[in-house]
Amino acid sequence: MDLNKLRETAAGIVSREDVKYLIGWRRGTFGYRVSPYFIEDAAGVEELIFSPLCISNLATYLTLVERLPVPRGQQPDERKVALLVKGCDSRAVNQLLVEKGINRDRVIVVGLPCPGMVDWKLLAEKYPETEAPVEMRWQGDDFLLVHNGQEIVVPRAEALAEKCRLCRHPNPVISDATVGEPVQPWEPAEDSGVGEIEAKSAPERWAYWEEQFSKCLRCYSCRNVCPLCYCEDCILDRLNPTWVNRAFNFSENTAFHLARAFHLAGRCIECGECERVCPAGIPLGRLNRKLAKTVREEYGFEPGLDAEGEPFQASYRPEDPEEFIL
Amino acid sequence: MSEQFEPNIVAFLCNWCSYAGADLAGTSRIQYPANIKVIRVMCSGRVNPLFVVNALQQGADGVLISGCHPGDCHYMEGNFYARRRLKLLKELLEYIGVDPRRFNMSWVSASEGHKWKEVVEKAVEDARAAGPFNQFRRRQIGW
Repeated sequence: MDLNKLRETAAGIVSREDVKYLIGWRRGTFGYRVSPYFIEDAAGVEELIFSPLCISNLATYLTLVERLPVPRGQQPDERKVALLVKGCDSRAVNQLLVEKGINRDRVIVVGLPCPGMVDWKLLAEKYPETEAPVEMRWQGDDFLLVHNGQEIVVPRAEALAEKCRLCRHPNPVISDATVGEPVQPWEPAEDSGVGEIEAKSAPERWAYWEEQFSKCLRCYSCRNVCPLCYCEDCILDRLNPTWVNRAFNFSENTAFHLARAFHLAGRCIECGECERVCPAGIPLGRLNRKLAKTVREEYGFEPGLDAEGEPFQASYRPEDPEEFIL
Repeated sequence: MSEQFEPNIVAFLCNWCSYAGADLAGTSRIQYPANIKVIRVMCSGRVNPLFVVNALQQGADGVLISGCHPGDCHYMEGNFYARRRLKLLKELLEYIGVDPRRFNMSWVSASEGHKWKEVVEKAVEDARAAGPFNQFRRRQIGW
């Protein structure tokens, strides 16, 4: 990945009249952290990075941004937003377009073929976080970590994030400009997380999820970070009818997690953000990926591949499976 | 002597087919178990999956959803959407460890009083075999 070329492209886009800002990544304040970065002028691109630590999905900022009412006599800001996307992020953009959550004319998608990201929590076990931000690069198939002034080669298998092991689309599926050469998609690993639960008996599964859901703090981080959870009127916030009570107990937590997972059925693009941000460490990806797997295997549908396609739950085929119906 | 467990089953019936089918069963004096609590909805596509979750939270031991046969929907395609949606819900419930026998779905037309009887018998039998469902019950707070 040629950072200079990325910065050049970014500078070119940001200096355009009709572009409001570009959303990218920059080094965080310490350790392995990387923060989202909103660049409004060409001078800002110097801090822009794309490294194996840029795991977060920036597509969520397309819908997360607050739209304040426009004061009388003023025109709304109609300028475009540019966005750096990896393969998985680009599927989120596509899915947003399918659902008409964003307007195609208002976004500029800069695609970055992604050779795989690092789960820094795996790294931190071996190489503890330092006070200064660390640097990381791809080196062939492996990662190169600059840690306390030392260059360490971290084998791919040791640090690759779970979502990247399962990744089927490392190259952006939608982009207005691509920086870097397309990567060769790798063989996705067996989804051991979902497989492990599927192998259990019903009471064991219940016990497993009971333990997991009981940990939930109901902070709704998973909802807020999700690029596809952007309803203005979310059922979780609604009081009348109260679909999910705010009470903090197992029954309500389970209802919340069922609702959250279900609302992403056939929409989840498996970017793994919900799992990454969960402060309680609930394996939310296992819920989403199970439904994604059902949708893929039984309906041959994968969300976010075609910006012109139909949303899964708002379409049907007469020959859909119905063996479960009496 | 132990008393037999009588499950509580919430049934969501579409107004045009299944509800009329259940009505036909009634007017034809077909005997079927009384464990079913019928809720009439305008279409099986109206059944929000959260209805099912809510019913289970509020003490249902099983849920039955019934609509028109595919192609017969009063609204042309409502039951096709319901089929996709509820299939996913069934998978999800099964995945978190709810006994799959607690969730049943059927197509019953307005002329199928006998089929309705069979469906209800099966649903009740299934829920009875699965036993009482208390793990997920919403805690009632009496002030």
